[in-house]
Amino acid sequence: MPCWYYDKKELRNTPSSLDNIDYETEMRYRKEGARFIMDTAFKMDLGCNTKATGAVYFHRFYMFHSFRQFPRYVTACCCLFLAGKVEETPKKCRDIINTARGLLSDAKFSTFGEDPKEEVMTLERILLQTIKFDLQVEHPYRYLLRYAKCLVGDESKLEKMVQMAWTFVNDSLCTTLSLQWEPEIIAVALLYLAGKLSQFEVVDWVGRTNKHLRWWDMFVEDVTLDLLEDICHQVLDLYSQPVAEAPPDSPPLSPKLLLAAPSSSKTNGQEKEKVETPKIKPPATTVAPTLPEIPSYPYPPAFSTTSHAGTYLPQYANPTVAPPHIAAPPPGPPPPHMPAPPAVLYPPYVGPPPHYPPVVPPAPFYQPTPAAPPHRPFYPPPN
Amino acid sequence: MQPREKSHSHPGMTLKEKEKYIENFRFPFCDDSVKYEKVAKIGQGTFGEVFKAKEKTNPKKLVAMKKVLMENEKEGFPITALREIRILQRLKHENVVMLIEICHKRACQQNKCLSTFYLVFEFCEHDLAGLLSNVNVKFNLGEIKKVMQQLLNGLYYIHSNKILHRDMKAANVLITKNGVLKLADFGLARAFSANKNGQPNRFTNRVVTLWYRPPELLLGERNYGPPVDLWGAGCIMAEMWTRSPIMQGNTEQQQLTLISQLCGSITPAVWPGVEHLELYKQMDLPQQQKRKVKDRLKPYLKDAYACDLLDKLLVLDPSKRADADTALNHDFFWTDPMPCDLGKMLAQHSQSMFEFLAPPRRSRPHHTMANQRPTTSAIQDGGYQDRVF
Repeated sequence: MPCWYYDKKELRNTPSSLDNIDYETEMRYRKEGARFIMDTAFKMDLGCNTKATGAVYFHRFYMFHSFRQFPRYVTACCCLFLAGKVEETPKKCRDIINTARGLLSDAKFSTFGEDPKEEVMTLERILLQTIKFDLQVEHPYRYLLRYAKCLVGDESKLEKMVQMAWTFVNDSLCTTLSLQWEPEIIAVALLYLAGKLSQFEVVDWVGRTNKHLRWWDMFVEDVTLDLLEDICHQVLDLYSQPVAEAPPDSPPLSPKLLLAAPSSSKTNGQEKEKVETPKIKPPATTVAPTLPEIPSYPYPPAFSTTSHAGTYLPQYANPTVAPPHIAAPPPGPPPPHMPAPPAVLYPPYVGPPPHYPPVVPPAPFYQPTPAAPPHRPFYPPPN
Repeated sequence: MQPREKSHSHPGMTLKEKEKYIENFRFPFCDDSVKYEKVAKIGQGTFGEVFKAKEKTNPKKLVAMKKVLMENEKEGFPITALREIRILQRLKHENVVMLIEICHKRACQQNKCLSTFYLVFEFCEHDLAGLLSNVNVKFNLGEIKKVMQQLLNGLYYIHSNKILHRDMKAANVLITKNGVLKLADFGLARAFSANKNGQPNRFTNRVVTLWYRPPELLLGERNYGPPVDLWGAGCIMAEMWTRSPIMQGNTEQQQLTLISQLCGSITPAVWPGVEHLELYKQMDLPQQQKRKVKDRLKPYLKDAYACDLLDKLLVLDPSKRADADTALNHDFFWTDPMPCDLGKMLAQHSQSMFEFLAPPRRSRPHHTMANQRPTTSAIQDGGYQDRVF
């Protein structure tokens, strides 16, 4: 079986980047595609494993193909279609497309072409070959529940923590974490993050031995705090990105759409014209960071296998208000219980990171914090 | 990389461009089927033809290639094929057929520009139905024990891995020329789990070839489990001596009648809870039938341990049917003659024996479907057997 894990250098050297799509834009496409899979899955009553499998297929697919070659929403539909069959929750292709049509703007839906079903069906064959029929995908959810069962502490606090971690796992599907780390490690990291944010300090756990310094030592080996923090930040960074509508949308596709729409001249693929796609501007980081995709409370029960996409509201009435469970790290130095960020966190090719805000519990926990402070960029640009 | 220009009317690529793109794209993990050369057609699987083939660069390496039929699929790559792939990727056991890889044939004029996929398996020289239909192939008791032991070993393994085969029949039991048995055709297999949240499973009961279908499926049970495969194992075991399937019904009703006549009347007394099954009242179940498993099969089996094991496999109530582990511990396998290697006996036969290539074998010629063994009914359902939309 192929190896589906990549280091950060490889994640910056994708077919899309070779196709002149900058890293931030690719990350945005990945996020939008994965989010769209989750929204479509939610509308269709599909469970967490189906949407997660679909999202993992999606990320794997774009390790071999460029976003310029394959519009993301078509790929997303195709991944969900295949994941539905693989996870024994099949949905008709037509129903998925109809649901997608309801969720997408006309401009975005036009990427499905004149025969959307055929488009998705053709892509399925490419998808299957691309993922080498490696259909079975493990997700962090089950590990999350397994690990949580071993933790000892206040029941209701524990449950809140697990619910929060569950939501982080959902959101992690929008990142490339599934291409970097095994589901066990992601589960540990996001449980750790939820523990920090819900002020649940794990001091005891079932099965503890003298060898165990931290609770996760029982489940995974050689996982450092640095690694956990890196994973946590990749998820937290999702919340600090500007709203999806702000940057110019789908640069590789929209210019042609704009050209095609007014003239409505059919070219039936015969005559081709070289279109110089303008370089995509990275999302402006100066825009006051809003939190477009944070699930709102109440969280669904964490200990069921039903869909958890319900926590996602498509739009927020007031995007500048942070959801209650994520608060900004307080200003000032990290509290003593957190290790200071090491001097060099990333391999040299990424360059030294800027100040690495520690993951800390928010001051008043369930109090909404108005306007989060600017976060560091997703990753510093390569030199 | 691909050139960047694209048509105006269509963002991304047109279908034609896409096909071309696939043709030129070297998929790093999915080999082209041209590396194999077809030798002969050897069967018809649940979702396509099966060919014997050899690797071009290494002609000694034989494989079986199962074509995935896509032409008539409304919902893309068949869910049955996806199941088989997923399940076989998970199962690695000497008594389960090994999936080597999945190959594709490039799009070309011949296949209407659709790439075709093949599942590539290790090649096995015979299937059990083919061997049993050849009167020159004679199994002694030790060899029959070896066949059954390997079959139950395979079932024990897949059931431990939470997989139901759901299409046990002699034709799906492959045997290599060295006498190693392999369960094959997982086209109807699926994962099962203990009932989730107290909710009973709602599997389709339209699985398993009629002649090997257990009574609970015939009565409409949807919350079934490993015992369905053990019933099939029992039918196959009897067939090792009778040389043809022991209950050859033409309809589900007739199959239930045949089962009642062999295993006794289906009543709540012998099978508590059977009265709650969906079709219990709709089917005509013969009453006052005595259980005659041992009496009827004794003349064939002769061996008392064999009769006793068979009696424990062909039990009406699935909850009382022996599981693979119990069956493997039965004295049948642990008394003389002990199970013995099949290789020597098979070495006398140089010809591959497959049911597909064999003339029809029938014990009772008065049946109507003279030339055709029934295939599994679920094939016709078109893939989505387990869900009702």
